[in-house]
Amino acid sequence: MTPVHLALLILLLPLASAAFIALFLRRAGGLASAVSVTACTGLAVAALALAFGGERNFPASWEWLRLGGFSLSLGFKFDDLAALMLVIVGVVGLCVHVFSLGYMHDDGAKARYFGGLSVFMFSMLGIVFADNLFMMFIFWELVGFSSYLLINHYCEKQSAADAAKKAFIVNRVGDFGFLLGIVMCYWLNGTVNLTELAAHHVYSSWVPLLLFCGAVGKSAQLPLQVWLPDAMEGPTPVSALIHAATMVAAGIYMLCRIEPVMTPTALTVIMWTGTATALYAALCAITQRDIKKVLAYSTLSQLGYMVAAFGLGSLPSGQGDHKVLVAAGVGAAMFHLTTHAFFKALMFLGSGSVIYGCHHEQDIFKMGGLKSKVPLTFATFTIGVAAIIGLPFLAGFFSKDAILYLAFANNKAVFALLAFTAVLTALYMVRLWKIVFLGAPRSEEASHAHEGGLSMTVPLVLLAVLSVVGGYGFFFEKLAGSVAHLVPEAGGSDHTVIFVVSLVVMTLGAGAALLFYRAETADSLEQKSPGLFGALSALKESFDAVYNYYVAKIQQRFAILLNFLEQVALAGLIIRGFSGLVGLFGIGARALHVGSLHAYVYWFLIGVVILWAYAAGVF
Amino acid sequence: MTAGLNDYLILSGLLFALGFFGVLLRKNTLAIFMCLELMLVASTLALVAFSRFNGTLDGDVFVFFILTVAAAEVAVGLAIIVALFRRRQTVQVEELNALKN
Repeated sequence: MTPVHLALLILLLPLASAAFIALFLRRAGGLASAVSVTACTGLAVAALALAFGGERNFPASWEWLRLGGFSLSLGFKFDDLAALMLVIVGVVGLCVHVFSLGYMHDDGAKARYFGGLSVFMFSMLGIVFADNLFMMFIFWELVGFSSYLLINHYCEKQSAADAAKKAFIVNRVGDFGFLLGIVMCYWLNGTVNLTELAAHHVYSSWVPLLLFCGAVGKSAQLPLQVWLPDAMEGPTPVSALIHAATMVAAGIYMLCRIEPVMTPTALTVIMWTGTATALYAALCAITQRDIKKVLAYSTLSQLGYMVAAFGLGSLPSGQGDHKVLVAAGVGAAMFHLTTHAFFKALMFLGSGSVIYGCHHEQDIFKMGGLKSKVPLTFATFTIGVAAIIGLPFLAGFFSKDAILYLAFANNKAVFALLAFTAVLTALYMVRLWKIVFLGAPRSEEASHAHEGGLSMTVPLVLLAVLSVVGGYGFFFEKLAGSVAHLVPEAGGSDHTVIFVVSLVVMTLGAGAALLFYRAETADSLEQKSPGLFGALSALKESFDAVYNYYVAKIQQRFAILLNFLEQVALAGLIIRGFSGLVGLFGIGARALHVGSLHAYVYWFLIGVVILWAYAAGVF
Repeated sequence: MTAGLNDYLILSGLLFALGFFGVLLRKNTLAIFMCLELMLVASTLALVAFSRFNGTLDGDVFVFFILTVAAAEVAVGLAIIVALFRRRQTVQVEELNALKN
């Protein structure tokens, strides 16, 4: 089996599974879940075989559509970057599929859920393999669709339906920019093939900035971040797979794909967008009381980290040469993407296990004391928390250090903001951890919490292992090949500075959270400092409030105005006006037909007179 | 005193007016039809007069055409009127308004 066949198999396996479920297994939930999980296992095995088979950069491209001089091709670009992403998607996807077996066991619409998961795997793998921007856009929209489908899984709930719609519409805004970027890229360069673009392209900041709009939507950066927290209405495994580990990371992956066309201006914009998102989301996370919302804002914050890392670009010594303009940024961003995919998927699945154990209670202040009730979930979740706050020798520590070092070397202001964000990260993650797992059970559900079955614990353990080893050089290098060599590594005194800073920020945040928050029924911050708490809540609401105002007031009024113009000018004056004119003429003509022959003779006479007068030049 | 062109034209105009008002005022289809013929003949008279006083044959040629057409018209028109009378037992125009109602 050649690598091309293997890649095709990986891509088409989930599609076949989705089609089979949609066509034949709509009523057979158990069978559908078996089919979907089998397909995902197959693709994960094939993905590992392909990624570690050693064969990379094989040519594979087929023409799909030709319109005059314009041709659209579908093809695979399988380099180290794609191999890394493929392994992440495959492994996390498999964990989530298996976890879903337990979590969704009693769900009434299992077939729809597992079919949706398969559609998602197919679309996500399409993005990973895409060798040109058009193909990427096609699958980009497909992941948007499958995300809509899965957020809307509990479609009988109004909030879920609203959240799905919101996610879809907000993503459209970003994707419009993405599409414009693709069109402009084609217009300027005559190609959208990633390899050809890397070799030769016109220098323009508009192309990367417009393409970045797509990443802003999909990776939920400011100002389009509003959909991600709401997307938590979907089932928890979906949040783990789509809204934490893979789909939202697709924006960062896409940026790394189009890295050659970047310009310093575009990078500056990207860097500040990422930094602002990281800080904003971390501030919002502090006041949340829904376990999944905390994790959602944490995801936003970490995505901001990755985008900022990409925007920081290369280390100072490499500047000037365009080839290495963003090399270190790609390394740091992809490194953090990898470790984040593991520990965030772990924490989401852990929260899923908690929610499952507590009979779908999501309020952290109604949990508590789960340490002894669900010990395995507690242990793995602790590893996840330790990884995200950057406890030394866990995955997040290495990748976060790489980003902090890059910021330290390039831009001290960004460094300061990211370091402050790291303090906040440690604060809200330890707060969550303490309130959920420590203390005494604070509700009936929490006191009867229980561990899920084997299908739910095995993925947790696997992801916990990955969250530990994912950050080590030997592991990441095996996975990512040349991308791993791009990761910036501090040396000498810088190394000490970064190490100390990351230890201090972690201790500061975690210590504050441990000392300040009590595992009680109310938020300590809300009680001790209502002003600060209110301000942070208002910060969270501000974007939604602005968008609501815009949609309800400005856009709606504009729509009413347009409707008025349409009714009056188009439907009223033009359409009804012309028909009225013709009707009037008809009424007049009908009046001439009086039914008397003599009248007709008069009409004839008048007609002749007019004709004569016209011929004689009277008028 | 010999008749000049104007005399012929006046006569032709009078005949035409006679025919025209006949068409306008008469109620009987047959009479209207006859008045129509009178208008045609009035115009032919004018044409013949023009031909005579101009010394050309143009007007005479027109007259031949008009007479031919008029003959054909009479044949068809009278046939219609006869058929109409057979069907409706009347040729008064105010009663011939089937299309109006």
